[in-house]
Amino acid sequence: MGGDVVTGRFSRFLTEPVPLGRLAAYRTVIYLFVAFDPVWFTPWVRDHASLPGVFYRPLLVGRLLHLPVPTSLMVNSIFYALIVAAVVAGTGRLPRLAGWIVFVLYAEWMIIAMSYGKVDHDRFGLLVALAVLPSAGAARHGERRLSERAGWALRAAQLSVVATYFLSSVAKLRYGGPGWLTGATLEWAIIRRGTWLTDVLTSQRWILVAAQFGIVAFELSSPIVFFVGPRIRYLFITYFYLFHVMVFATITISFAPHLAAMTSFLPLERVRPIGWVRSSWRRMRGGDPGGPAEEHTPESHPAADPGSAISIGTPATPATAPPG
Amino acid sequence: MGAPADQDVVRLSGRGRWIRIAVTLVVAGLLIAGSLWGDDDVFPFGPFHMYSSAVPLNAPVNDTEVQLVDTVGQVTILTPENTGVRRAEIEGQLGRFQQDPRLLQLLADAYGRMHPRQSLVGDTVQIVIRWYQLSGGVMTGKFTVQVVAEWAVTS
Repeated sequence: MGGDVVTGRFSRFLTEPVPLGRLAAYRTVIYLFVAFDPVWFTPWVRDHASLPGVFYRPLLVGRLLHLPVPTSLMVNSIFYALIVAAVVAGTGRLPRLAGWIVFVLYAEWMIIAMSYGKVDHDRFGLLVALAVLPSAGAARHGERRLSERAGWALRAAQLSVVATYFLSSVAKLRYGGPGWLTGATLEWAIIRRGTWLTDVLTSQRWILVAAQFGIVAFELSSPIVFFVGPRIRYLFITYFYLFHVMVFATITISFAPHLAAMTSFLPLERVRPIGWVRSSWRRMRGGDPGGPAEEHTPESHPAADPGSAISIGTPATPATAPPG
Repeated sequence: MGAPADQDVVRLSGRGRWIRIAVTLVVAGLLIAGSLWGDDDVFPFGPFHMYSSAVPLNAPVNDTEVQLVDTVGQVTILTPENTGVRRAEIEGQLGRFQQDPRLLQLLADAYGRMHPRQSLVGDTVQIVIRWYQLSGGVMTGKFTVQVVAEWAVTS
C-alpha cells in the first residue's frame, strides 16, 4: 500500500502536466541554442576536422557504435546539417523527426568534441533535453492545454540539470576527498583562468576557502529545488544563474549549454516576443492603444496536480484553484 | 497524439507513463554508476569532475601552454582559435607528446593550415608548463618553467 503511494507520487512528479506553450517555448530555446552552439561556443569542434586522425581518442560510445574517425567532409556535413535541422526543429515543425535528427547530429558533434583528449561536463542537461524533446510531440506557442508528455520532458531536463550539480560534488568527494574543501583548487583555477575581477575579490585565502565550502553546499543542496513552492523555487533558480555569473566573471567557465537546459524551470510560456511584436504592430496600425496587448498570453492555468509532492505552477497564479 | 484528453489535460497512456518512468530510472542509474565508478570514457555518463582534485596548499600548480617559437625567438601561443586544439586536449594527451614529440609537428601543421602564408620551417613547437609555487594555498609569485616536449618544425 505504502509502496503504491510512493510509486504514484513519483509517477505524478515525473509526469506532472505543464502547459504545452511552455514546452513549445523551451523547444525553441533549446534548438536555437543548438543552432548557435557550433558557430559560437564550440567552433573548435569543426577545427578538429583538420587534425590528423592520430589525435582521435574515441570514447566508449564511439567504439561501441564503430563511429568513423572524423574527416573534414564528415565534420563539415554535420555542422551544416545540424544548424539547418535545429532551426527547423526550433520552429516547432516536425517535432519528432526534426527533433531526433538534431539529437543524433548533436550527439555526434559532442562525441567528436570530446574524443581528442578532453571531456567537458557542462552539457548533460542539454543532451537529455534533446533526447526527450521529440517524445513530447506537437506543441504550439501560447497553447494553454496541459500535457503530461510535455511535463515529463521538462522534468527530465530539470532532473539532469540538478543531477549535474549534485554529482559534481560527489566527484569532488571521490577525487579530492573532504580535503577539497580546504585545498587550493580555486587558487589553481584562478591561476589558469582568472580575470581582473578574481584578483580584486580573492586577495584573501579565506575567501577562496569560503567559496569552496559555498560551492559544495550549493551543489549538494540543489535538489531542494524540487521540494519547495514556486516562489522559493524561482529564488533558487535565480541563485543558480547568479552562481554561474560569478563563475564566469572569476574563472571564465561559461556552462552555456547547462544554462540553456536550466530554462526548463522557468515559465517560458510567458515570454512571447513574436506575440508582443505582433500585438504592438496591430495596435500601431489599428490605433487601438487600449486594446488587450497580450491576448495570447496565458494568464492563468490550473496550477499543477495538487496531489503531487512537487508542483510546477506559474508564480503569479499560486492561488489558482486546483481542478476539481 | 494518441493519449486521451480530458478537458484541459493531455494524459499519458499507462504504457507511455511506464516507459517514461523506466527510461528515467535507467538513465539515472547509468549516471550514478558513472559518477561513482566510471571515468571520462563513458561520456556522457562519466563523473562531473572538473576541478575536483584537492590541490595541496604548498605544492606547485601547473599552467600549460603550447608555444610556437620562431627563428628570432618570437613566441606565438597556440590556441583553439589558431590550431583547433584545446589546451586541455594537449594536457589530456601530454604523455603521448612526451613519448613522441613528432606529434608536435602535427600541431604546427594545424597552425600552418590556418596561416598558409607563414613559413614555419626552423620554428620550434614547445609544450611549456609553468609551475606556480603556492604557500599556504596562495600564489607566492614564484614560478618555474618546464619544457615538457619540443619539436623543430620540418615543413
